[in-house]
Amino acid sequence: MKIISLNTEQAPPISVPMRFFTVAPLFLLMAALMLVTGAGNPFDDMRSPALLAATHCITLGFMAMIMMGAMQQILPVVIGSPMPASRLTVWLTFLPLLSGALLLPAGFMLGKPALLNLAWPLLGLAFIAFISASLASLARSPAHNATKTAILLSILALSGAIVLGMLLAQGHASGSLLPYDKLATAHISLALGGWVMLLIVGVSYQVVPMFQLTPNYPKWLVKGLTPAIFIVLLLSMLSRLFEPGSHWLTITTQGLFWFLASSFALITLRLQSNRRRRVADATLSFFRLGMMALLCAGLFALATLVFPAIDSLGTVSALLFLLGFAMSLMHGMLYKIVPFLVWFHLFRGGVNSGVPNMKEIIPETWKWRHFWLHCSTLLAALLAPWWNAATWLVALGLLLQGMLLEYTLLIAISVYRRTLERIGGVSP
Amino acid sequence: MQTITEYMSASHHACDEAFANAEQAALDNNWSDAEIGFNNFRTDLARHFRMEEDELFPMLLSAGGPAGPVQVMRMEHAQMNTLIEQLAVTLAHRDAQGYGGLSETLLIVMQQHNLKEEQMLYPIADHFLASQRKTLLDRMRVE
Repeated sequence: MKIISLNTEQAPPISVPMRFFTVAPLFLLMAALMLVTGAGNPFDDMRSPALLAATHCITLGFMAMIMMGAMQQILPVVIGSPMPASRLTVWLTFLPLLSGALLLPAGFMLGKPALLNLAWPLLGLAFIAFISASLASLARSPAHNATKTAILLSILALSGAIVLGMLLAQGHASGSLLPYDKLATAHISLALGGWVMLLIVGVSYQVVPMFQLTPNYPKWLVKGLTPAIFIVLLLSMLSRLFEPGSHWLTITTQGLFWFLASSFALITLRLQSNRRRRVADATLSFFRLGMMALLCAGLFALATLVFPAIDSLGTVSALLFLLGFAMSLMHGMLYKIVPFLVWFHLFRGGVNSGVPNMKEIIPETWKWRHFWLHCSTLLAALLAPWWNAATWLVALGLLLQGMLLEYTLLIAISVYRRTLERIGGVSP
Repeated sequence: MQTITEYMSASHHACDEAFANAEQAALDNNWSDAEIGFNNFRTDLARHFRMEEDELFPMLLSAGGPAGPVQVMRMEHAQMNTLIEQLAVTLAHRDAQGYGGLSETLLIVMQQHNLKEEQMLYPIADHFLASQRKTLLDRMRVE
């Protein structure tokens, strides 16, 4: 056991995660802009430039941005090991991700190869820095738990997704002949089924029991689930290597993936219904919505196997996964992490009185408003493949969500600054 | 034989139960139950801290265990004690909103503290104190 490296007091300054968090909601505004400026109904075709651009605003600008900020905070707590060279890591990830996440959607939208050629090396740099720092942190961690395994597998899947993403962007920009459909499917599987799914599962093992005092996840699930998902993803990659692809292997791997994902959702919902803490909580509602959306995403994905000619089933499944599952959980997590960080950084200065509690940092009413707004946006998104006008509702929903989240984060920062001024501390 | 990790994790869960009962009663404005629940929680948590600060930590340190994390755990105990004192004030004032905000804060402080202990510090203690485990558990049981 590597005792020397164990240090549980390694939280980075509050400005580190907060800079990632406060930029992220602006990409929801950008996604809204992409959707309304696209030609026709962007939800008609998964590869329409507007949908491609909006999706990458959300996955890179919103989700990856929040993940990179949150991981620097979470790693010391869950695996007892911080990211190395934190200042350098922050700058090598934050600025390249920010600029890459602006340029890539702009490149898709405007059809400008030059923008794509600027975007992919910047994104590559951001992710290489993030992945290397995460792997170094994992290697030095004294912990042996399932969350560590999940984070490792998630990072490996992310690496694959990024390599394929860079290849695709470079290919689009230069017009090279590539098997775009196959590469894009593998890119999406690794990014959503791998990176997002595995990370959420690993973090849920810790935070679901923690936030609501639920029983722990069953031991067999904790041990087996993330390696099983990872193996299924690798098999699904293999099934695509063969030409013509094995239809049965594809169906089996798809079925297995959604069986595993649904088991996770059902068990999480069951644990939450057995929670010891029964007070109303917006984060809990975001989590439950997310798990129900994951179950529905599975049903729609399986429906595509039965009705392969109906494209909109696949679009709905992807929307349920991205907006319904991943985004709901991220909102829910942010509403716990941000107030806690503000409280923690004010309190640890040694001042005991006059530090606002978590519910005074981001008021509950705003969290609930956001929850209902998010439900409405999701509903509109599910109608969008069939009802053109719903695109405007989705865009409006994303715009309002971005503004609301930004507002609540700025409230938290202003509470932090005002309290610090009052108690005479120094802002890190 | 029960490990230190198992024994101390069970003690965390007992504290969680008492915490949840007190919070629920306070938010329901059921102040007599809230008072009973809060006092149970405060007693359970104080006993848990004594087991650690009077028995486990000194024994771990004298066996060559890491001093830094033990220091951090002690500091977090102090943070939790401050929040508990603030909770007692809101309870005395029958202030459900204040209680809810402080208990939400205490919950996260307490849970991330427990996580670090259950996943890192207790396994280290099991490793360093393997030969003294029975003595330690017996001493902690009478705290």
